[in-house]
Amino acid sequence: MRAGLHTGKRLLRSIWRGVREWCGDAAYERYLGSRAQRTATPQCTLSAEQFYVEQLNRRYSHPNRCC
Amino acid sequence: MNKVLSKLVWFAVALLGAGALGKIALQRGESLNAIWFVLAAVCCYLVAYRLYSAFIAAKILTLDDKRATPAELHDDGRDFVPTNKWVLFGHHFAAIAGPGPLVGPTLAAQFGYLPGTLWLIAGAVLAGCVQDFVILFCSIRRDGKSLGEMAREEVSKRGGFIAQLAVLAILVILLAVVALVVVNALKSSPWATFTLAMTIPIAMLLGVYLRFLRPGRVLEASLIGVALVLFAVVAGQWVADSPSWSHAFTLSGIAITAAIILYAFAASALPVWLLLAPRDYLSAFIKAGAIFSLAAGILFVRPSVQMPALTRFIDGSGPVFAGKIFPFCFITIACGAISGFHSLISSGTTPKMILRETHARFIGYGAMLLESFVGVMAMVAACAMQPGVYFAINSPAGIVGATPEAAAATISNWGFPLAGQTMTDLAHKVGELTLLSRAGGAPSLAVGMAQIFSSTIGGERLLSIWYHFAIMFEALFILTVLDAGTRVGRFMVQELGGRVWKPFARTGWTPGILLSSGIIVALWGYFLYQGVVDPLGGINSLWPLFGISNQLLAAVALVVATTVLLKMGRTRWIWVTLAPMAWLVIVTMTASYQKIFDPNPRMGFLAYANTLAAQVAAGKIPAAKLADTQRLIFNQRLDAVVTAVLAAMVLVLIVEALVQWYALLSRRREPVLHESPYVMTQWAPDFAGAAHGDD
Repeated sequence: MRAGLHTGKRLLRSIWRGVREWCGDAAYERYLGSRAQRTATPQCTLSAEQFYVEQLNRRYSHPNRCC
Repeated sequence: MNKVLSKLVWFAVALLGAGALGKIALQRGESLNAIWFVLAAVCCYLVAYRLYSAFIAAKILTLDDKRATPAELHDDGRDFVPTNKWVLFGHHFAAIAGPGPLVGPTLAAQFGYLPGTLWLIAGAVLAGCVQDFVILFCSIRRDGKSLGEMAREEVSKRGGFIAQLAVLAILVILLAVVALVVVNALKSSPWATFTLAMTIPIAMLLGVYLRFLRPGRVLEASLIGVALVLFAVVAGQWVADSPSWSHAFTLSGIAITAAIILYAFAASALPVWLLLAPRDYLSAFIKAGAIFSLAAGILFVRPSVQMPALTRFIDGSGPVFAGKIFPFCFITIACGAISGFHSLISSGTTPKMILRETHARFIGYGAMLLESFVGVMAMVAACAMQPGVYFAINSPAGIVGATPEAAAATISNWGFPLAGQTMTDLAHKVGELTLLSRAGGAPSLAVGMAQIFSSTIGGERLLSIWYHFAIMFEALFILTVLDAGTRVGRFMVQELGGRVWKPFARTGWTPGILLSSGIIVALWGYFLYQGVVDPLGGINSLWPLFGISNQLLAAVALVVATTVLLKMGRTRWIWVTLAPMAWLVIVTMTASYQKIFDPNPRMGFLAYANTLAAQVAAGKIPAAKLADTQRLIFNQRLDAVVTAVLAAMVLVLIVEALVQWYALLSRRREPVLHESPYVMTQWAPDFAGAAHGDD
């Protein structure tokens, strides 16, 4: 019973994480994680607002929605 | 033992699929349950994925999980982001699934359910999925390069330029035709017009929320937005019931055209966070929900398909669009079987986010299978309604007549019994003034979806709500294609213009933004306008033009794929991409020739123009209609020129490729692949993508 609950909880958590990744909710956290791994200069890191606008400008400058 | 069991299971799946296909192909004269369509499609997809895609992955592409992907090599947390394969599948599917797989099969249902269903399944398995998969692979091996760049490097410089021009041309025609579908869905419908109009302030509200209040919190903002949009669907009924509000939102085709053109210009020129992006978020959630609900509804209701397997219109005399089953069934289905536009997505964002090379099979091949399944569901929804009703909704008034009685008489004469009162009652039940001659596919699909949904929840009482929900869903994501496409077109125009005058290419320069937005909107707006004023309904000429251009782009993608396979030394296996390419070239060239030169005025652009010109010369056109007729003549000739130019561009590219292939096969030229150098992955074999955030 407890194992089942644990598995269910893990499954729900992965679905939740998947949905957040899919819709872009977790994009800024991912960006921060990537920055932390690759650079030691936090001054250059974009704020959440800057990142959001910059990301949209790049995403919508090439075909990203099909017919 | 396990191997034997596995083989037995796959044999059973194949047998079930063959049985279901046999059932839908051979059943005559009795109603057929929709569950057979689902079984046939799903079993074919499973077998194709298990065997054919595995064969391509292992034997031809030799996918290598030890090779680092662009997402690993260039991980910047922005463009290059290593992403879990299920999440990326969702991204990729949301990007490739547009209105095409819904509208195309709905229109192709005029031939009966059989040809369209077979092409949806076979075309996807043997052509569409292969194209998406191979192009995705090619782009992964080239640091996420675009189709145009790959064509330039692997085929020829001219090939790259042609691919770029073809993309711009298809974009213009695509935007015009999808806008026409929206116009025909909203025309004289205050409920639908109000609901869709409300999505603009809702999207702007979300834009402000996401930009200033909770930057990047897409999930919570989208849930608020979806709730508001659903409320707008319900509120639309109150608007339709109020005489004054109803009057304000009852717009003609021309008025809606003007509104859509203005909207797209604004969406292209305004900051992307204000309107375009939040609408896209709304659209993605509603699209996923509506597609899932349709699949669940079909499985729950299991409707009977009422359309015959083949109709008399396979001879080319169909009222929805003119043209024989070959080549026009394959042109009309378009994206549900193969779409050239997908190659832009497969060589765009997806290759930069893929974690492992082997994921390309699941994402490239698998997502296209799902898109094909959406097409099969649209076919079921269209064919589950009474055939007479289907033809009454989708045929232009110029062919069936302008009143319910006249339309019913014409359609009954074709062998599809229909009473005029049936159309009046149906329009009343779905809350519309009329459903007659609402060509474009969207209203008939909405009726089909509403009938399936209302059989699941609410019965006839909720038919009108479900109908307008379906219209809102279709129009919402068509507008997303429209505004995103207009913005991309704007960048392309700026890039091309920048070659002549450099400042024009600066994407942040306001006069350049306004001018390029104006140019791209004027280009597709012109085709949209000509479709709206066309007495044959517009869809008759524009949808085939869209199908031809989209399939020609697919041929371009397959030319690139075949060239890469040849250079990789896979000569023995090039039929995998060469056969679908040859088929597409035959289909599109035949269709292009017929659309330009066919002597039937309903079919051939030039014949129609000449017929009208002869009527003008003979003085048969009243003076009041002379200017309109002259414009119609010009439009038909313009359509002929556009078709010819598209076909010529692709022929030039094919000739370039043939020269290249001959040189490679005769060993006159060394095969030079432009792949990025091999780098071994640093990730552990069980690494499934970085997870940040909630845990």
